[in-house]
Amino acid sequence: MGFFKRLFFGDHKRLHDRQLSDNAEEVKYPSSTKLEDNVNYLLEEFHNSSDLKVRIMKKGNSALIYFESLVDKGKLYDSIFTPLEEGKIEGVNDIPIAKVTYNLEEAIDSLLRGHAVHMEDGSRLISQFAVTASFNRAVDEPINERIVRGAHSGFVENLLININLIRKRIEHRDLTVKYYKFGKYTDTNVALIYVEGIADPELLAEVDRRLISISSDMVHSPGYVGEFIEDNTFSPFPQMLNTERPDRVVGNLMEGRVAIMSEGSPTTLIAPSTFFMFYQAPDDYNMRWWAGTFIRLIRLTSFIIAVGLPAFYIAIVSFHFEVIPDDLVLQVKSSINNIAYPPILEALVMVVIIELIREAGIRLPQPIGQTIGIVGGLVIGDAVVRAGLVSNLMIIVVALTAIASFVVPSNEFSTILRLLTFPLIVLAGTLGFIGIIFGFLMILVHLTKLESFGTPYLSPVAPLTIKDLKDTFIRVPIYMMKERPKDSRAIKKEAQGESREWKHNEQSTQFTKPKTDDLPGASSSGSDGEVN
Amino acid sequence: MIVQTQVGVGVLALPYDLHVIARQDGWISLLISGVILQIVLIALWLVAKMFPQKDFYQLNTELFTKWGGKIVSFLYVLYFIAVGMLILLLFGRMISMWVLPNTPFWVLTLLLISVGVYLANSGLVVIARFYTMVSGLLLILFLLMLYSMKEMNVMYLLPVWEAGTGKIMKGVQEATLSFFGFFIILILYSRVEGKANEKLRTILYAHWFTLFFYLFAVIVSYTFFSTEEMKVVPEPLLYMLKSFEFPLVARIDLFFISIWMVSVATSYTTYLYISGLGLKSIFNTKKAAMFNWIVGGASFIIAIFIGFDMDILEKMKSLTVNAGYGFSIFFPFILLAFSFIIRKFKKTGGAAE
Repeated sequence: MGFFKRLFFGDHKRLHDRQLSDNAEEVKYPSSTKLEDNVNYLLEEFHNSSDLKVRIMKKGNSALIYFESLVDKGKLYDSIFTPLEEGKIEGVNDIPIAKVTYNLEEAIDSLLRGHAVHMEDGSRLISQFAVTASFNRAVDEPINERIVRGAHSGFVENLLININLIRKRIEHRDLTVKYYKFGKYTDTNVALIYVEGIADPELLAEVDRRLISISSDMVHSPGYVGEFIEDNTFSPFPQMLNTERPDRVVGNLMEGRVAIMSEGSPTTLIAPSTFFMFYQAPDDYNMRWWAGTFIRLIRLTSFIIAVGLPAFYIAIVSFHFEVIPDDLVLQVKSSINNIAYPPILEALVMVVIIELIREAGIRLPQPIGQTIGIVGGLVIGDAVVRAGLVSNLMIIVVALTAIASFVVPSNEFSTILRLLTFPLIVLAGTLGFIGIIFGFLMILVHLTKLESFGTPYLSPVAPLTIKDLKDTFIRVPIYMMKERPKDSRAIKKEAQGESREWKHNEQSTQFTKPKTDDLPGASSSGSDGEVN
Repeated sequence: MIVQTQVGVGVLALPYDLHVIARQDGWISLLISGVILQIVLIALWLVAKMFPQKDFYQLNTELFTKWGGKIVSFLYVLYFIAVGMLILLLFGRMISMWVLPNTPFWVLTLLLISVGVYLANSGLVVIARFYTMVSGLLLILFLLMLYSMKEMNVMYLLPVWEAGTGKIMKGVQEATLSFFGFFIILILYSRVEGKANEKLRTILYAHWFTLFFYLFAVIVSYTFFSTEEMKVVPEPLLYMLKSFEFPLVARIDLFFISIWMVSVATSYTTYLYISGLGLKSIFNTKKAAMFNWIVGGASFIIAIFIGFDMDILEKMKSLTVNAGYGFSIFFPFILLAFSFIIRKFKKTGGAAE
């Protein structure tokens, strides 16, 4: 914790310095030499809030003011009272970590930040002590983005700890953090993080321009920031990736993207993002690349299944029965023959039921949530078929769709996928294949049209950049990803040099001496790759 | 992009149309027309090269004075709208014949128009990106046709040149129709970046790709059906695919149509876009989106009006085709001549000063 404390204090000091210099020119509410006036002013400004404590010391000659709800009592005693009692120092002003000001407005700000403020009669000097209490949970792995191999740390609600997690991973002077203050009431700290020299200055200017224009009473989560600055708010697709994983953020920062974090939320926004970024997971880079490619292909297939499978099924059973091969026709026909409702109604009902079960499961405590899953999934599913309300083929289709939609590593994206199913079901129910194709066309046109901070959403597929396909449909071995992808618009193109030079050297020097054991990669691909 | 515009409605019916005229020598006609069109393409390229900054409509005003240019542009817009309509009508007919016999015509056209307008409104860059993406689908069509090659019988192509030169040349006329999409290069030339030679190369590649694609389609269907059979199947590719049965799906032709629809949508969008662009430059405004809506709406109304009326459809087809000859083949040469003259004129004028 000592480390965090240092980080805390250090950063706060920096914030302060900035504010001091900002306010140096005109001091709106200068402190007075009379202690009573100062204290009264502060009390009035806080509307005599009950948790504001005023502690009179030196027989009424000085006062220590703080919010008891914001300060850490232990720190308060350690840094102020104990030295005073032990008589090590003469007065409060001798305590080394004090910062001073003559501005009462600044005192208000620092009180709100959890500092203690000390004032003395006969002096305009206000000393501030950083004794903020912070309650943090551990940097656990985020439950919505679990991975099998790789780092298991995740962001927490404290902005400084989050930045610490990133700085620990990029120990370089070019990692730059810029603070913004949003929300007239909440005064939320928002940090824009990027790597200078890799990130495109134009992109930075654009993000900065959009961030500055935010004017709102409350900015309490990245969702707010996201909706304020994203390109197209009417699009169903999220245009900024959000993640709670430091390693994911770091990877994207190093590709030249920017990260936006806000105090009080572990979720980080990454811009610009593309469609395919939502299908990448940190896991991919820890597996053998064959396995990584395979799993990524499965994920991308899941997009088509999640959006199109129910529609496809409905189109077949209600319009194009002739598509089914002869051997299968009887089974299909017999399973849907006894159902009273048309397939489109069946599908809509089942998809809605799945959504109900999912939503109920999320909000409830873990054990009950599981019960809901079993009751909803197994019992209702079985009973509905036996009652003849829904065909068992439809159950298979809908269940597959639900599973496919959960394959996407990003939670919000999977919700969108399930949402997109509905219009396609309706189109398929009314126009069959034609409807599906037009639905897909519409989605595709929309995706092509969409841009995230000036980067085409579907890049590198449209516009086609063949070189960048190395990390979309497939994942080539890491040593082959020599250049940063074009879609992040990094100004420093090269990401790595020849990292497997040793192999060439080895071959040339040991040419005469044949080795018996295999080179790495030749033998271990099978066993390692099957971990998942 | 040119590829997508060209491979449109034509591909399904082309083999039949060719066959009616040139019998089994249709593929020769196709090849000849491809070569002829190459010359036209180069002419177009020369014109476009001379005015690299201007698109076609601006070029018209440049060459034929202000009002003359506007009239020419307007005629072209009408022509493009007519072609777009034709695509709409053929598409509607095809879908209702093969897939959805009971769906009202206006639903189908409305779908196509809405996709087209949506795409056309997004601007050229998005259109180009989209076309590049969906041209991957042509590969699937290609593979499907490739599959059917296992049933082919080369003997049906023989005897070569049986129909006689005159018939073959008539077939050339018919075949030229399917390539009409090439005209858009004149309009888009100024908007694409790159050197003149590179652009020519791209244009020719695209042209040859389309030619190859058509040729493939024609040959496959000719070799699948015998000369006698061809007389009765208006859409040979579909009938051919219909006869196949894969273990997974029985009616492969339905999938073929589905993918083909994408091609139709893109080629319709192109015509919509260029006619909207033309109107925009005629009226000198910036609101391209509005004109796209107007064009879309107009063609919707007229399309409903015509509906499945085969007579009007046929009339319109022949009208558009004939107009197509004038607009797409002869006019480029006129343009070329004019631009040479004007250029000379300007040069002498410049020298005199």
